[in-house]
Amino acid sequence: MLNVCLPPSGKTCECGQRHMEAVLRNVASTVELLAVAAHSDVVSEWDEQTAGRAFHWARYCEHIYSRFHSNHVIRGVLEKQLQLTSRGLKEALPEYGAVTLWDLGRCQNLLLLRLLGNPALPVSLLKMLFETRRSAGVTDGDYDDVRGLCGRLVQYKSACKLLRHLPGPPALGADAEVQGEMLMERLESALSRSGDARRAEDLLSSVLQELDGAAPGLCPVIAAALLTTAGSAAQIAAQDFLLDWLQSRHGVLQRVCSGLPSRLLADLAKRHRKFRDAYCRLLKKWASEMEYGISDGEWVHAAADPSVSFQKMTHHFLTLFEACPSLRTETEDELRALKVSDGGFDVRGLSVWGDLLFALSP
Amino acid sequence: MTELQVQQTDESSPNAEELSSWLEKVIAWGHADSLNTWKDISLHSSRLKDFLQQLLIQINNVSSTAETMKRLPLLGQFLGRLCWNPHVTAEGESRGLLFQCLWALYSEHPSNAVEREANQWIRKVLCQLATEEEDGAALALMKHLGVPSKEYHLKVLKRMVTIMQENIGNNQCSRTQGCSCGSIRAASEACVPLITCPEASPLIGALLQQPVTCFRDGLSENFLDALHSAYSRRVLPLEELAVVSLWYHSLPSLEEAVLRLLESATAAGSTPNKIEEQVTNSLLPEACAQHCSIFLVANDIFRTVLKQAEKNECVKHVFQTFTKCFLRELSHLQPQTSASLKAFFPQSPPSLLLPLLTMPSEMPQEALKDHLMWVSSLIQQLAEEEEEEEEEDSRNIRGHHKVFEAWLLLVQCGHWVQVAAQLLVTSGPEDCAPFLWLLTFYHHPTNRWHHRASQLVQAKAAWDHLCGLFSVAGHPRPADRLQSFISLLSAKPRQPPLAPPLALNLMVNFAVFGQLPLSTSTEMIQKVVDQSGLWDESTRVLGSLRLRLNDRGCVANDRVRLRIEELRNTMTQM
Repeated sequence: MLNVCLPPSGKTCECGQRHMEAVLRNVASTVELLAVAAHSDVVSEWDEQTAGRAFHWARYCEHIYSRFHSNHVIRGVLEKQLQLTSRGLKEALPEYGAVTLWDLGRCQNLLLLRLLGNPALPVSLLKMLFETRRSAGVTDGDYDDVRGLCGRLVQYKSACKLLRHLPGPPALGADAEVQGEMLMERLESALSRSGDARRAEDLLSSVLQELDGAAPGLCPVIAAALLTTAGSAAQIAAQDFLLDWLQSRHGVLQRVCSGLPSRLLADLAKRHRKFRDAYCRLLKKWASEMEYGISDGEWVHAAADPSVSFQKMTHHFLTLFEACPSLRTETEDELRALKVSDGGFDVRGLSVWGDLLFALSP
Repeated sequence: MTELQVQQTDESSPNAEELSSWLEKVIAWGHADSLNTWKDISLHSSRLKDFLQQLLIQINNVSSTAETMKRLPLLGQFLGRLCWNPHVTAEGESRGLLFQCLWALYSEHPSNAVEREANQWIRKVLCQLATEEEDGAALALMKHLGVPSKEYHLKVLKRMVTIMQENIGNNQCSRTQGCSCGSIRAASEACVPLITCPEASPLIGALLQQPVTCFRDGLSENFLDALHSAYSRRVLPLEELAVVSLWYHSLPSLEEAVLRLLESATAAGSTPNKIEEQVTNSLLPEACAQHCSIFLVANDIFRTVLKQAEKNECVKHVFQTFTKCFLRELSHLQPQTSASLKAFFPQSPPSLLLPLLTMPSEMPQEALKDHLMWVSSLIQQLAEEEEEEEEEDSRNIRGHHKVFEAWLLLVQCGHWVQVAAQLLVTSGPEDCAPFLWLLTFYHHPTNRWHHRASQLVQAKAAWDHLCGLFSVAGHPRPADRLQSFISLLSAKPRQPPLAPPLALNLMVNFAVFGQLPLSTSTEMIQKVVDQSGLWDESTRVLGSLRLRLNDRGCVANDRVRLRIEELRNTMTQM
């Protein structure tokens, strides 16, 4: 589709430069188109062909994004252009909302949102967008027709809602799996380009910051990402990067380990040595933070968030040992040593290590 | 949940009361999300669609939206709630009707506040439906990774389908641990709106092909009904294996398939070649070989059709082709079939099963004659026995059951009748009797008023004629000899007529296998077909002969093949 010759150094050659100029012009025009779609009355004169062309340009931007988002040189150029165009549009339309680089990847959705929010959109276009396809047996795949676009979206979303409510296997679920895969894909491409770790770092931080506020949060996604099968070296590198990142963000690690079921965490530990070690360390840290409540006769975790019960922690350990049997003796030795340092008494409530050992014994 | 009892008005246009009862139902659906709710929704699905259709008509007939809202004040609430019910929005037809209602309420030129508000509301709802994301995490990820919504949701849907497909039937039902089943029933109930969705078809197929392990956990009735409805409207995107499972589970769908095949195979212009193609492509022979119950149903349908149309050569031919394809599929499946034949043909006289179900290609040429004589004598015996019983006990109204079943089996194995006709070309007067009997029986199974004796005489006469006409000696042929043969083919008022196809069939065989020069034979056939108008039948016989000789491999010699081709060419030019 687009022939841009880019030597690995990132410097553009003559024809590359001309191509780049064309790309920038097209992107700028599409951004202006988005503004028109959102705010202008001109939309009332659009017909199916016009709408089709508009969505075609939006798709073009999506292609540009997926092709170049990991190339930091071109990325910079694109971002500059977007700022330039936005400034111009802001002067013309005060209510204009800026378009960021990320938005380009979802350009069709952005266009759709703006069109649907524009009261001047003719009803005939609405009908066309929401049309229901007649023919059976035509799977979507590359069906990029603008006719029935919204109808298909609604169908997919509703179908997912229906299937989501069915009791399924006790795993992460399709949503988390797909989200995890997408995350890994982006991480991979962010890392592969001249090993730019900072880009990947930024990506993770911004994504996960957003996810943090939203339910169910980042834990299922991270777990799913780490559970994807990593075949190529690039995939393994990406998972490794994520693991390192996880280890460095202690708060996130805590939330992952307290929010997910033991079986899942044990699977993760089995797969990734680094996770296993971090998980073990965390469990022991939790144990060390426990205090014995004399009135309840129970060990209680001192920290408020996240708070883990003694039973839960024990369960975590047991499930972990099931998945990684070699860990048992190692851990038991450690616990025994810690128990000795606490006095080595066999009375309940004196040493968390003693009670833990007891709970873990078969 | 209670079934909706709705009072229909006289004009069958919805009134406010009806709407209010529906609204109550829809609200109830929105509150609970259990298997019972899904069942209730599926149960009411087609009535809901009818209701939406009526609403649509009414909205379109009323002059303005404001007027509609006055008559049906709850309409907005009703439609709005339906928009958020995934059972309604996932299924193509109901979604289409729902949106059409919304558009119908949209006013191009709003003239008052009610209409302006309605317009705004409609836009808002549609916008929300298309762009809102319930899952905050999904939205955040999509935004920051630049993933288009359609790509995301399609991926998730396909993943859900895959996960469910792999996990169906993982719940083992054990008597000791109690039944944890219900997952298949629940899944089939939830999938009712997804039946026509191509992305979900692997899951639908997996549900259908799931072996039934627990009687409490079968496919839901609503699911099977919806499948059948989609199948008859030909909008069901299922793979072949899944279609066979559908037939297995849903009797109406199987019946529909068999009748469809009959219809298309007996349509005008169906050559034996085309018919065989249609039968094979219909998947029915394979399905019958895999499931005895499917074969029995298909057989029954053919039996019923034939009982009412004994003389319909076309149907007989389709039935014969069907059985041939079925036997071929069966032989692919199980090499040892003799034990199970009785299961497939429970009503046929057991003594006839093996002799008739053996294909002529499976025995040496020289043995064919004796084999057919034996078959003929078996059937004759059966016929005589039954007639004796009838005579002894005239109050015996059991009917000609055994003989009918023998005849049916003979029709299914019609290739033997063709062999008999072929053998008659080379037989002498001493051994032609059993073959003539077989041929006569095939065309006249019932011996009403003991007409068979006279029919046999006529058949012998026809054969005599043909022997004379096609003998190498005896030039030139007197024209009146041919004429008297032709007159045999036409109905005579006093005698019971011999079925014209019988004599014609014999003649074609004589022309193909006889020793007369091709041009003479062709001329005679042309004259006969011209005057008797039996063009269809003659082309059918030639077509079947050709097929049969191809089936047998290279046993047939080229001379015969050439003659058939020549005759066919002549026929097509007539």
